[in-house]
Amino acid sequence: MTNIAAMESPRSRYTMRHVVRAELTKLTSLRSTIWMLLVTVAGSVVVTILSTNSVTHHDPAWYQGFDPTNQAMGGLVLAVLTVGILGALAATGEYGSGTIRASLAATPRRRLFLAGKAVVVGGIVLVVGEVLTFVCFGVGQAILGSGGAPTASLGQPGVLQALLLSGAFLALLALMGLGLGMLMRHTAGAISAYVAVTFLIPVLLNRLPSNPARFTPVPILANSIAAVVRNPGQVSIGLGMLLMLLYCGTALALAAFSIVGRDA
Amino acid sequence: MIVARALTKHYRKTVAVHDLSFEVPPGVVTGFLGPNGSGKSTTMRMIMGLDSPTSGSALVNGRTYAELGWPLREVGALLDAKAFHPGRSAFDHLRYLARANDIPLRRVDEVLEAVGLTSVARQRAGKYSLGMGQRLGIASALLGDPGVLIFDEPVNGLDPEGIRWVRGLLQGLAAEGRTVFVSSHLITEMSMTAQRLVVIGRGKLIAETTVDEFTAQSAGKVVRVVTPNASSFVSALREIGAKVTVDQDGAVVVDGLSSADVGRFAAHRSFTLFELTPIRASLEDAFMELTRDAVEFRADGRPIALAASSGPYREEKS
Repeated sequence: MTNIAAMESPRSRYTMRHVVRAELTKLTSLRSTIWMLLVTVAGSVVVTILSTNSVTHHDPAWYQGFDPTNQAMGGLVLAVLTVGILGALAATGEYGSGTIRASLAATPRRRLFLAGKAVVVGGIVLVVGEVLTFVCFGVGQAILGSGGAPTASLGQPGVLQALLLSGAFLALLALMGLGLGMLMRHTAGAISAYVAVTFLIPVLLNRLPSNPARFTPVPILANSIAAVVRNPGQVSIGLGMLLMLLYCGTALALAAFSIVGRDA
Repeated sequence: MIVARALTKHYRKTVAVHDLSFEVPPGVVTGFLGPNGSGKSTTMRMIMGLDSPTSGSALVNGRTYAELGWPLREVGALLDAKAFHPGRSAFDHLRYLARANDIPLRRVDEVLEAVGLTSVARQRAGKYSLGMGQRLGIASALLGDPGVLIFDEPVNGLDPEGIRWVRGLLQGLAAEGRTVFVSSHLITEMSMTAQRLVVIGRGKLIAETTVDEFTAQSAGKVVRVVTPNASSFVSALREIGAKVTVDQDGAVVVDGLSSADVGRFAAHRSFTLFELTPIRASLEDAFMELTRDAVEFRADGRPIALAASSGPYREEKS
């Protein structure tokens, strides 16, 4: 058998690099991850096809104030759900199966463990999210163009920024799901909490005066981040990103606070 | 080397482990013995840094678990048979653990081979039997070639061949100079595997000793007597304050006197004896004796924790 003790240098210890490599292996070796990512991409593209196809062949007057970029991002509403579940499962899958004990035995510094997990979940969803926004954009513009609707191009002001930030926004949503998963430890609870924050609360807040729903994640993405034509009733892109960073940061900070000292 | 010092774990109102101090030295198998629910698993989880003690400490090689530089290369543990994701293969489970502690990936194949899982290594672990899951847990423990090994009930779910394999494995690891700490609620299992014992009941230390000493403590104090005048012999013994019971076959069992004492007493009172047998207390009896007051749940005055394995229902098997 390989003598491992012999190759160990006395003062060395495991670092972020090891945690990230382990988490990457862990996440990519589960079919559920691959399926969630496939569903994210395929489902979002299908919704984009439907949403862009539904606004073709109108009179030119109908397209007053029309935002072809935002229309093509319509599919991201599905990705909001799936990337959040992906993030939550990355945490609850460990607690539900008992893998967490093996993981923490290998990586007992729990905040480093959480940070490594966040890097991997955030990184994977960032890459997939960016690819997804560009695919949705391309598919959407092609359908709009063939249907006689106005189209957008990457060169137009604000379009590239909208696509890049929308992909990043999905990564932040996945991290919020991860934070909730780490806090709640149970899949059903974590997904319920995530759906409540993303889809339920905006619906409730919608009815209140001055529409506080615009400060919640999904309206921020749909009406501010993924929009090129500015809508006066919505938050600015800067404020929108700041708020989302705050939500995501709060979930992760609570997770980091709770993971230390809590029995695994 | 594992050292527990005044280790204590309280959950809201229940006390799982209380003021537990013991040492687990290298080179021998140390059994961690106690009835179910006596705090063995909680203690092991505290050693592994998974549960935090209410007070006291557990050190591995002089450091807390969280301070270890490469934990899996210093400590290998099997804490429960299902510490893996059902959707991940044994190969991938070991691969991620190897990456976490910079262990060469060829070790994954080596430990899979060592536990006999090579042929099913690429299958999803959810399809594994309890015994295969146990083998995967053992493979994870061996992965980093650690000097300290902790096994919580390692023979659970294994077939007789597997049980024998685990015994050999544990003894082999100890013979290589490693620290081997293995828990069980089965005293007979411990008597075949361990040289040293840490015995707990209701979270408290009952004994820290060797298996030989443990059995010797109460050996030879029970005597079986067969006499045609059983009832008068029993009352004569009770008059002098001896603890006497009568077996189903009519034999008189005297507790607390040596066979010489009983023989002299019978001669003095002119009882005819057909049989006079000192009964060497088994490890099991010693264990029952020691944990009598420390068992959480009882049925018919006997601890049910041990019922499934031995003791009280032994008759059913014959």
